[in-house]
Amino acid sequence: MSDKSPRTEGALPPATLDDPHLLPSTRNPKRMEALAALAMLVGTAGFVAFIVAYWVNASNRWEALTLGIGMLGLGVGVIAWGKYLMPQGPFVEERHDFHSTDDERSAFNAAITGRGGLEVKRRKVLLGVFALGGGIMTLALLIPGVRSLGPKPAKSEDNQGPTESSLFTTNWKKGSKLVTVGGRPVMVDDLELGGVLTVFPQGFEGSSPDQVILLRLAQLGPNDPPYPIAPPGRTDWGVQGYVAYSKLCTHLGCPVGLYQQRTQQLVCPCHQSIFNVNAGAVPEFGPAPRPLPQLPITVDPTGQMRANGSFDQAVGPGFWERP
Amino acid sequence: MTTETPRRPALARLAAPAALVGAVAIFGLVAFSSGPASADTTTAPGASTGTVPGAQPGTVQQTPTAVTAVPSPTAAAAATSPANETGIYYTDLPNSFIAPGQALFAANCSSCHGAEANGKIGVGPNLQGLGAGTVDFWVSTGRMPLAALTVQATRKPPRFNRIQTLEIAAWVQSLTPGQGTKVPVVHTASADLEAGNTLFTLNCAACHTISGAGDALAEGAFAPSLHLATPTQVVEAIRSGPGNMPRFGPGNITNTEARDIAAYVTGVLQHPNNAGGAGLGGIGPVGEGFVGLLIGVGVLMLVCFWIGDRA
Repeated sequence: MSDKSPRTEGALPPATLDDPHLLPSTRNPKRMEALAALAMLVGTAGFVAFIVAYWVNASNRWEALTLGIGMLGLGVGVIAWGKYLMPQGPFVEERHDFHSTDDERSAFNAAITGRGGLEVKRRKVLLGVFALGGGIMTLALLIPGVRSLGPKPAKSEDNQGPTESSLFTTNWKKGSKLVTVGGRPVMVDDLELGGVLTVFPQGFEGSSPDQVILLRLAQLGPNDPPYPIAPPGRTDWGVQGYVAYSKLCTHLGCPVGLYQQRTQQLVCPCHQSIFNVNAGAVPEFGPAPRPLPQLPITVDPTGQMRANGSFDQAVGPGFWERP
Repeated sequence: MTTETPRRPALARLAAPAALVGAVAIFGLVAFSSGPASADTTTAPGASTGTVPGAQPGTVQQTPTAVTAVPSPTAAAAATSPANETGIYYTDLPNSFIAPGQALFAANCSSCHGAEANGKIGVGPNLQGLGAGTVDFWVSTGRMPLAALTVQATRKPPRFNRIQTLEIAAWVQSLTPGQGTKVPVVHTASADLEAGNTLFTLNCAACHTISGAGDALAEGAFAPSLHLATPTQVVEAIRSGPGNMPRFGPGNITNTEARDIAAYVTGVLQHPNNAGGAGLGGIGPVGEGFVGLLIGVGVLMLVCFWIGDRA
């Protein structure tokens, strides 16, 4: 919009039939007028028929039909009138520009910045302290970001023994004893059916990447198999109803510790991912993209629970180099 | 531009600084009240005695709601009974309870669970083999008899008094002697609250939340609040795993540890030490965020007005 656009001065002129805004949107207004009139006449006939039907005490069906025809016909006619013959718009209300003149603006800017600049120049000590604080603040905000860029996760082949920084491997090995966070070895009869316990490989109690949730699954229903339905190739990964899964959610790595023993679901508290522990911990709901990795477990002759191997994949959430 | 703004009334000039001070005070209250209190006391405020499991001396004839109330501090002194090294012993209910229990069961429970408590498919589960402790948990917390078929039974005032509850439990236990969870008698007086804190954090807080307020689980299920639980009910729930709760046997949580958890729940979580004065229910970021937004943002706006309104 510019100042050159014509402005309406004073009151709007009275409406006339040669107003350009009254151009109908249809190409053949005469025909559309006839059609709308026809529809309304059909509707009128329907209403007349309704009065007759009511008068002669015809069945409800006839009353409904005639009243329906009346309303339909009248409605179609009115809609056609409004849609094809009424002024369509859009109507633009012209308005002048709110812009101040360029002279006014530059004068205002000069007044503000000039005075502010004078005040800044007068307080040299404050300016220096502020610059120092701002610089240190920038550094403080940058350092954590730069620090979190490294180090690169160690590859499994060049991994000199398991470390906390390895995203690919855990400290679980074939034969690792399952122990509680307090270091107590887990025996095969420690958990009831429907029990749950967080375990670690012996020697790494409390190590976050190694945490494993050990479950002893109760029978789902009287006609269900007593022990978990193992996915293909994993029939010997559990023992006596026990199954063990990595406790790190495959979404963002929260500890998946909420166990519903009756429905045999593990719930992640962060984003409500639900894993079906009776079928390989596949995600049933929520943002988790993969099943929880399963740890193969076994029982040694003394009744102690041991890992029968390591995880077959990286635990926890995905990362770029994840195979 | 006028060179001098008119002075506002003194009250209006004081309003914004007063609001700022008030806001800081309220934030202080909230910040120092969040989370459960630390386990800095050495004895729980209440304990049960060995006469009737889960009841206080002399209260067995009271109304059901009174029996589920938190044990009074005076009961701690009366906590002397045999077999007390672990703090829990499991009691056998007297045989005289069985006959009245059967009558109560027939009148109140059998329509869903069957006359022999062996369940009806699709209506009520089989109770045989679950033991007296399981029955006591469901009935004493008011979850049974069920009020309505929902995803999960909810706690409500119990229908039966302590003796009646134990009579029903005794009859169900008599169908399968020796099986299931017995009714525990819990002595919380000598409990280790610090150990209870650690054990609660490890085993219970994932679902019941660190303040014991409870939270939602999957598909309509939820972990209930623990703020009305008695020590007996806590141990019964640990041992029997009601509903979707996992079961924790003595190989996982020993009797002493279960006693410590019960003492921590009833002694610390149910009496949170909100140093600031307003715990906001301990339900976490939703409640605290609501207060923070409503009061905090409101006050920040007042502060903005105050800053912008230079004299």
